[in-house]
Amino acid sequence: MNGEGDGNSGYRPEFVAALQLFARVSEAMHARGLQRPILVGGAAAEFWSHSAVTTGDFDICTTRQPELEEEMQQAGFVRPSGAGAMLKGWVHPDLRLGFEVVAEVPMDGNIEPTRLRLIRPVGETALFRVISVEDLIADRMGQYASRSAPDRINQARMLLSLHPDADMDYLERRTREESMGDYGVEDITG
Amino acid sequence: MNAAPAKKAWAIMASKTSPAEPPEVVTETVIDMAELGKLLAARRKAANIPHLPRNAGTDRTPSKQALLDEIAKLGAKW
Repeated sequence: MNGEGDGNSGYRPEFVAALQLFARVSEAMHARGLQRPILVGGAAAEFWSHSAVTTGDFDICTTRQPELEEEMQQAGFVRPSGAGAMLKGWVHPDLRLGFEVVAEVPMDGNIEPTRLRLIRPVGETALFRVISVEDLIADRMGQYASRSAPDRINQARMLLSLHPDADMDYLERRTREESMGDYGVEDITG
Repeated sequence: MNAAPAKKAWAIMASKTSPAEPPEVVTETVIDMAELGKLLAARRKAANIPHLPRNAGTDRTPSKQALLDEIAKLGAKW
Protein backbone atom coordinates (compact mmCIF):
# COMPACT_ATOMS: atom_id res chain seq x y z
CA MET A 1 0.00 0.00 0.00
CA ASN A 2 1.42 3.38 -0.82
CA GLY A 3 -0.97 5.44 1.27
CA GLU A 4 -2.95 6.93 -1.59
CA GLY A 5 -6.20 5.63 -0.15
CA ASP A 6 -9.16 5.59 -2.49
CA GLY A 7 -8.24 8.77 -4.35
CA ASN A 8 -11.13 9.69 -6.62
CA SER A 9 -12.23 6.17 -7.40
CA GLY A 10 -15.46 6.46 -5.42
CA TYR A 11 -15.01 3.16 -3.63
CA ARG A 12 -15.24 3.06 0.17
CA PRO A 13 -11.80 3.79 1.65
CA GLU A 14 -12.09 0.78 3.95
CA PHE A 15 -12.85 -1.44 1.00
CA VAL A 16 -9.92 -0.10 -0.96
CA ALA A 17 -7.62 -0.74 2.01
CA ALA A 18 -8.91 -4.29 2.24
CA LEU A 19 -8.30 -4.94 -1.45
CA GLN A 20 -4.82 -3.49 -1.21
CA LEU A 21 -4.09 -5.96 1.56
CA PHE A 22 -5.69 -8.82 -0.35
CA ALA A 23 -3.59 -7.95 -3.40
CA ARG A 24 -0.39 -8.02 -1.35
CA VAL A 25 -1.29 -11.42 0.06
CA SER A 26 -2.15 -12.58 -3.45
CA GLU A 27 1.16 -11.32 -4.77
CA ALA A 28 3.00 -13.18 -2.03
CA MET A 29 1.29 -16.37 -3.15
CA HIS A 30 2.23 -15.65 -6.73
CA ALA A 31 5.84 -15.07 -5.70
CA ARG A 32 5.84 -18.58 -4.20
CA GLY A 33 4.84 -20.00 -7.56
CA LEU A 34 1.22 -20.46 -6.49
CA GLN A 35 -1.92 -19.14 -8.07
CA ARG A 36 -3.47 -16.04 -6.63
CA PRO A 37 -6.63 -16.74 -4.61
CA ILE A 38 -9.95 -15.64 -6.10
CA LEU A 39 -12.34 -13.13 -4.59
CA VAL A 40 -16.00 -14.20 -4.70
CA GLY A 41 -19.26 -13.44 -2.90
CA GLY A 42 -20.20 -10.15 -1.30
CA ALA A 43 -16.77 -8.55 -1.71
CA ALA A 44 -16.86 -9.31 -5.43
CA ALA A 45 -20.31 -7.71 -5.46
CA GLU A 46 -18.93 -4.62 -3.78
CA PHE A 47 -16.08 -4.47 -6.27
CA TRP A 48 -18.26 -4.77 -9.38
CA SER A 49 -21.00 -2.53 -7.92
CA HIS A 50 -18.66 0.33 -7.05
CA SER A 51 -19.55 -0.08 -3.37
CA ALA A 52 -23.29 0.23 -4.05
CA VAL A 53 -23.32 -3.12 -2.23
CA THR A 54 -21.13 -3.19 0.86
CA THR A 55 -19.64 -6.04 2.86
CA GLY A 56 -17.43 -6.55 5.87
CA ASP A 57 -16.18 -10.01 5.10
CA PHE A 58 -14.28 -11.39 2.16
CA ASP A 59 -14.94 -14.83 0.70
CA ILE A 60 -11.97 -16.40 -1.02
CA CYS A 61 -11.36 -19.51 -3.11
CA THR A 62 -8.01 -21.28 -3.15
CA THR A 63 -6.70 -24.82 -3.35
CA ARG A 64 -3.71 -23.79 -1.25
CA GLN A 65 -5.34 -22.78 2.01
CA PRO A 66 -2.38 -23.57 4.31
CA GLU A 67 -0.02 -21.43 2.26
CA LEU A 68 -2.59 -18.64 2.02
CA GLU A 69 -3.07 -18.64 5.77
CA GLU A 70 0.68 -18.38 6.24
CA GLU A 71 0.71 -15.30 4.06
CA MET A 72 -2.33 -13.85 5.80
CA GLN A 73 -0.61 -14.19 9.15
CA GLN A 74 2.41 -12.42 7.72
CA ALA A 75 0.05 -9.61 6.64
CA GLY A 76 -1.36 -9.20 10.16
CA PHE A 77 -4.42 -11.42 10.11
CA VAL A 78 -5.18 -13.35 13.28
CA ARG A 79 -7.40 -16.26 14.24
CA PRO A 80 -9.34 -14.81 17.18
CA SER A 81 -8.36 -16.38 20.48
CA GLY A 82 -11.13 -18.26 22.20
CA ALA A 83 -13.19 -18.38 19.05
CA GLY A 84 -15.60 -21.25 18.74
CA ALA A 85 -15.13 -24.23 16.51
CA MET A 86 -17.51 -22.68 13.99
CA LEU A 87 -15.05 -19.95 13.12
CA LYS A 88 -13.04 -20.77 10.02
CA GLY A 89 -12.07 -17.27 9.00
CA TRP A 90 -9.41 -14.77 9.90
CA VAL A 91 -9.78 -11.18 11.02
CA HIS A 92 -7.55 -8.17 10.62
CA PRO A 93 -7.63 -6.12 13.85
CA ASP A 94 -6.58 -2.86 12.22
CA LEU A 95 -8.88 -3.00 9.22
CA ARG A 96 -11.67 -4.63 11.26
CA LEU A 97 -12.66 -7.08 8.57
CA GLY A 98 -12.62 -10.81 8.01
CA PHE A 99 -11.49 -13.20 5.32
CA GLU A 100 -12.74 -16.75 4.92
CA VAL A 101 -11.79 -19.47 2.47
CA VAL A 102 -15.19 -20.76 1.36
CA ALA A 103 -14.19 -23.25 -1.35
CA GLU A 104 -11.30 -24.47 -3.43
CA VAL A 105 -12.76 -23.12 -6.67
CA PRO A 106 -15.51 -20.59 -7.44
CA MET A 107 -19.07 -21.71 -8.07
CA ASP A 108 -18.45 -25.45 -8.05
CA GLY A 109 -15.89 -25.11 -10.82
CA ASN A 110 -18.53 -24.08 -13.35
CA ILE A 111 -16.95 -20.80 -14.38
CA GLU A 112 -14.75 -20.39 -17.42
CA PRO A 113 -11.23 -19.77 -16.03
CA THR A 114 -10.48 -17.24 -18.75
CA ARG A 115 -13.30 -15.10 -17.35
CA LEU A 116 -11.46 -14.50 -14.10
CA ARG A 117 -10.25 -10.93 -13.90
CA LEU A 118 -6.90 -9.63 -12.69
CA ILE A 119 -7.20 -6.36 -10.79
CA ARG A 120 -4.78 -3.68 -9.71
CA PRO A 121 -6.33 -1.95 -6.68
CA VAL A 122 -6.28 1.79 -6.26
CA GLY A 123 -2.88 2.90 -4.97
CA GLU A 124 -1.27 -0.53 -5.27
CA THR A 125 1.01 -2.37 -7.65
CA ALA A 126 0.14 -5.89 -6.48
CA LEU A 127 -2.71 -7.71 -8.23
CA PHE A 128 -5.61 -9.89 -7.15
CA ARG A 129 -8.12 -12.11 -8.95
CA VAL A 130 -11.91 -11.80 -8.88
CA ILE A 131 -14.74 -13.66 -10.58
CA SER A 132 -16.22 -11.95 -13.62
CA VAL A 133 -19.25 -9.72 -13.31
CA GLU A 134 -21.18 -12.20 -15.46
CA ASP A 135 -20.43 -15.07 -13.07
CA LEU A 136 -21.25 -12.85 -10.11
CA ILE A 137 -24.64 -11.90 -11.58
CA ALA A 138 -25.32 -15.56 -12.29
CA ASP A 139 -24.38 -16.36 -8.69
CA ARG A 140 -26.85 -13.77 -7.41
CA MET A 141 -29.57 -15.26 -9.61
CA GLY A 142 -28.75 -18.73 -8.37
CA GLN A 143 -29.21 -17.58 -4.79
CA TYR A 144 -32.44 -15.86 -5.79
CA ALA A 145 -33.67 -19.03 -7.46
CA SER A 146 -32.93 -21.06 -4.35
CA ARG A 147 -35.36 -18.79 -2.46
CA SER A 148 -32.81 -18.40 0.31
CA ALA A 149 -32.03 -14.80 -0.64
CA PRO A 150 -34.89 -13.02 -2.40
CA ASP A 151 -33.05 -9.69 -2.32
CA ARG A 152 -30.32 -10.94 -4.64
CA ILE A 153 -32.28 -10.21 -7.78
CA ASN A 154 -31.97 -6.51 -6.98
CA GLN A 155 -28.21 -6.91 -6.82
CA ALA A 156 -28.24 -8.78 -10.13
CA ARG A 157 -30.27 -6.06 -11.83
CA MET A 158 -28.11 -3.28 -10.44
CA LEU A 159 -24.90 -5.06 -11.46
CA LEU A 160 -26.11 -5.57 -15.00
CA SER A 161 -27.20 -1.95 -15.30
CA LEU A 162 -23.69 -0.94 -14.25
CA HIS A 163 -22.11 -3.31 -16.77
CA PRO A 164 -24.06 -3.01 -20.03
CA ASP A 165 -20.98 -4.32 -21.84
CA ALA A 166 -21.29 -7.72 -20.14
CA ASP A 167 -21.13 -10.80 -22.38
CA MET A 168 -24.85 -11.52 -22.66
CA ASP A 169 -24.43 -14.97 -24.21
CA TYR A 170 -22.18 -16.12 -21.40
CA LEU A 171 -24.44 -14.45 -18.82
CA GLU A 172 -27.49 -16.21 -20.23
CA ARG A 173 -25.78 -19.61 -20.08
CA ARG A 174 -24.37 -19.13 -16.61
CA THR A 175 -27.61 -17.72 -15.21
CA ARG A 176 -29.49 -20.74 -16.55
CA GLU A 177 -26.90 -23.06 -15.00
CA GLU A 178 -26.93 -21.38 -11.60
CA SER A 179 -30.72 -21.15 -11.44
CA MET A 180 -31.23 -24.72 -12.66
CA GLY A 181 -32.87 -23.38 -15.80
CA ASP A 182 -35.40 -21.19 -14.08
CA TYR A 183 -34.02 -17.77 -15.01
CA GLY A 184 -32.17 -16.04 -17.82
CA VAL A 185 -31.02 -12.59 -18.83
CA GLU A 186 -34.55 -11.42 -19.62
CA ASP A 187 -35.49 -11.98 -15.99
CA ILE A 188 -32.70 -9.64 -14.95
CA THR A 189 -33.39 -6.92 -17.48
CA GLY A 190 -37.16 -7.21 -17.23
CA MET B 1 -38.33 -24.38 -9.47
CA ASN B 2 -39.07 -26.28 -6.29
CA ALA B 3 -36.32 -28.79 -6.97
CA ALA B 4 -33.62 -26.16 -7.36
CA PRO B 5 -32.42 -26.02 -3.73
CA ALA B 6 -31.98 -29.76 -3.53
CA LYS B 7 -30.14 -29.97 -6.83
CA LYS B 8 -27.97 -27.02 -5.86
CA ALA B 9 -27.07 -28.60 -2.55
CA TRP B 10 -26.02 -31.74 -4.37
CA ALA B 11 -23.84 -29.70 -6.72
CA ILE B 12 -22.12 -27.95 -3.83
CA MET B 13 -21.36 -31.22 -2.10
CA ALA B 14 -20.11 -32.74 -5.30
CA SER B 15 -17.70 -29.87 -5.80
CA LYS B 16 -15.59 -30.82 -2.80
CA THR B 17 -13.61 -33.40 -4.68
CA SER B 18 -14.04 -32.88 -8.40
CA PRO B 19 -13.02 -29.46 -9.77
CA ALA B 20 -9.51 -28.42 -10.64
CA GLU B 21 -8.19 -25.03 -9.65
CA PRO B 22 -8.84 -22.46 -12.39
CA PRO B 23 -5.51 -21.56 -13.96
CA GLU B 24 -4.18 -18.03 -13.98
CA VAL B 25 -4.27 -16.53 -17.42
CA VAL B 26 -1.03 -14.61 -17.57
CA THR B 27 -1.80 -12.84 -20.82
CA GLU B 28 -5.03 -11.22 -19.70
CA THR B 29 -5.36 -7.49 -19.37
CA VAL B 30 -5.06 -6.08 -15.90
CA ILE B 31 -8.04 -3.96 -14.87
CA ASP B 32 -7.05 -0.73 -13.16
CA MET B 33 -9.48 -0.27 -10.26
CA ALA B 34 -9.05 3.49 -10.27
CA GLU B 35 -10.12 3.69 -13.91
CA LEU B 36 -12.94 1.23 -13.37
CA GLY B 37 -14.10 3.30 -10.41
CA LYS B 38 -14.35 6.44 -12.52
CA LEU B 39 -16.32 4.59 -15.19
CA LEU B 40 -18.72 3.03 -12.71
CA ALA B 41 -19.15 6.30 -10.81
CA ALA B 42 -20.30 7.96 -14.01
CA ARG B 43 -22.69 5.12 -14.77
CA ARG B 44 -24.07 5.16 -11.24
CA LYS B 45 -24.67 8.89 -11.47
CA ALA B 46 -26.31 8.65 -14.88
CA ALA B 47 -28.60 5.83 -13.79
CA ASN B 48 -29.13 7.23 -10.29
CA ILE B 49 -28.13 3.95 -8.67
CA PRO B 50 -28.24 4.19 -4.86
CA HIS B 51 -26.50 2.15 -2.21
CA LEU B 52 -28.40 -1.07 -1.70
CA PRO B 53 -29.33 -2.27 1.78
CA ARG B 54 -26.98 -4.80 3.25
CA ASN B 55 -27.88 -8.43 2.85
CA ALA B 56 -30.62 -9.62 5.14
CA GLY B 57 -28.23 -12.24 6.48
CA THR B 58 -30.82 -14.98 6.59
CA ASP B 59 -28.66 -17.44 4.66
CA ARG B 60 -25.40 -17.09 6.58
CA THR B 61 -23.49 -20.23 7.44
CA PRO B 62 -22.49 -20.78 11.09
CA SER B 63 -18.86 -20.08 10.20
CA LYS B 64 -19.81 -16.85 8.45
CA GLN B 65 -21.89 -15.70 11.40
CA ALA B 66 -19.01 -16.56 13.75
CA LEU B 67 -16.68 -14.48 11.59
CA LEU B 68 -19.05 -11.53 11.59
CA ASP B 69 -19.39 -11.81 15.37
CA GLU B 70 -15.60 -11.59 15.69
CA ILE B 71 -15.52 -8.56 13.41
CA ALA B 72 -18.20 -6.96 15.57
CA LYS B 73 -15.97 -7.41 18.62
CA LEU B 74 -13.40 -5.27 16.82
CA GLY B 75 -15.94 -2.49 16.56
CA ALA B 76 -17.29 -3.02 13.10
CA LYS B 77 -20.94 -4.05 12.76
CA TRP B 78 -22.13 -6.08 9.76
